[in-house]
Amino acid sequence: MSIEVKDLSFRYGPIQALDGVTMSLGEGAVGLLGPNGAGKSTLLRILLGFLVPEKGEGRVLDYDIRRDQAMIRRSVGYMPESDCFIAGMDAVTFTSYFGELSGMPRREAMKRAHEVLFYVGLGEARYRLLDTYSAGMKQRLKLAQALVHDPKILFLDEPTSNLDPTGRAEVLDLIEDIATKKSIQVILSSHILDDIESICASVVILNKGRLAAEGRMEDLRASRVSLFELRIKGGGEAFRKDLEASGCRIEETEDGLVKVYMPEGAARMDIFRAAARTGVQLRYFVKSRTSLEDLFAGAVGVD
Amino acid sequence: MAVVREKGYAHWDGRLVERRFPWLPIARTGVRLTFRKKAFKFFFAFAFLPPFVALGGIYVSERLEDFKAIVQSNRALLNIDPKYFQAFLTNPSVLFSLLVVLVFAGAGLIAEDLRHSALQLYFARPLRKKDYVLGKMSVVAFFVLVLVALPWLLLVVFKLIFAGSLAFLVQYPWLPLSIAAYAALLTVFFGCYVMLLSSSSRNTRYVVVLIFGVYYFSDVLSEILKGIFRDPHTALFSLRANLQQAGAFLFGQKLPHDVAAGWSFLVLAAVCGLAAVVLHRRIRSVEVIK
Repeated sequence: MSIEVKDLSFRYGPIQALDGVTMSLGEGAVGLLGPNGAGKSTLLRILLGFLVPEKGEGRVLDYDIRRDQAMIRRSVGYMPESDCFIAGMDAVTFTSYFGELSGMPRREAMKRAHEVLFYVGLGEARYRLLDTYSAGMKQRLKLAQALVHDPKILFLDEPTSNLDPTGRAEVLDLIEDIATKKSIQVILSSHILDDIESICASVVILNKGRLAAEGRMEDLRASRVSLFELRIKGGGEAFRKDLEASGCRIEETEDGLVKVYMPEGAARMDIFRAAARTGVQLRYFVKSRTSLEDLFAGAVGVD
Repeated sequence: MAVVREKGYAHWDGRLVERRFPWLPIARTGVRLTFRKKAFKFFFAFAFLPPFVALGGIYVSERLEDFKAIVQSNRALLNIDPKYFQAFLTNPSVLFSLLVVLVFAGAGLIAEDLRHSALQLYFARPLRKKDYVLGKMSVVAFFVLVLVALPWLLLVVFKLIFAGSLAFLVQYPWLPLSIAAYAALLTVFFGCYVMLLSSSSRNTRYVVVLIFGVYYFSDVLSEILKGIFRDPHTALFSLRANLQQAGAFLFGQKLPHDVAAGWSFLVLAAVCGLAAVVLHRRIRSVEVIK
């Protein structure tokens, strides 16, 4: 396991940001998902050694998060959420500077800075002052500085925030390339479900500082929520109330398609029984693939 | 049109090294960035004017016969001794030109990092807080040493060259040490002073105002208090007066104010102590908003 944490807790004053989180992350891209304030960024900062956990322990690449912070920071790349750069610098100087601070020899850092800037698509703009960069360019620059020392793990905190759709697609394209073809493990923290769904094979869902779900996306989809789509004829209201009473969540689309999210342990026959009880005809019935949105809603408990 | 992107990411086959001085890249980059600033080179060159004037004085003092028509009435001024060096080095205009250079070099050192949230990038590297502060402070130290230690120690050498003997050094063997000690004092004090104010705001312009403002306000306050209380201890309120007092002590000259030099050292040390406390609180890898 590349990252393991056990019973990790942290509080900002009276606010409990993380509460007994235990998880193990293996290879491949992992999505760190949760609503705002769920504790995603706090978890990343603890793994990087920015914050000292109040309780619990953890290891990143077999380095202890309390004792071996320097080794962890040497082996991981971090792309923070907020805009960050150094005024008066160009991209090459900026990227090679952080390569050098990671421990690269000066000349190697400079050579590598050129390579990664071309890789992230800033090759032509690499001598421009950072003060003149657009939001999308700054986002790529943050990725470049995180990659310059060739980390084994890349922590990406909301990498597509503040980007237009084209910029977002391009950054996601890059992250996917890194995660799938460059043998760098990507930990992608985001509250944008589509980003995670398009890149990550596994997901960790945090809610109010606690672990709400963890595992491979396919396994979670199979085990946690069953989604059925149906079309009905007859008294819909009574049917809906009957299903809701048995713990199902119901959604109805504009064209009359009824989506039934069944909780873990419920059987599809319950829908037929409810239809029989309320005198409703089922005209269409199909088991649908659960999306990450459904999974998230199920785990976090929101619509 | 499709974006043409070079996808050639290759793993780096080198080895990351553990530096003995992890702060060195920060210092080097800080100095380089300072020289990129507009107008800085002019003020930097201007700050070398006093050593050039002093060099002229040293040259003339060794060639009095050639310049007797010019220096007839100013012979006393050309008596080259520790007082000559102390008079230049503690001169308010010399300290002012040093302050101008440090405003360019140091005002934005931490303020810009705070403004652009760059601290988290630094601390995502194997750097400790003290490495970061040391790196930034080294930028200030570089300019103080280049403007104070280097030229004035060279002037001692020039004096020996112009005289063609070591008599001057034999007569004042402690002078090079006095210059080095005074340069070290200015380095530590201005390093802490500039870091303290640079970390107190995210706005570099505001920091510039603070660097000049606090320095000269302390002077004005001292003069006002002196006018009211007629007590020489009021000089301790002035940063400039304390530097002059400490400088006179290090050069073994008569103190300009009737106060023990130890008090001045204590005031300067207090500023450094305050800087250490503020830097410890302000330099954080994560800004926690409570």
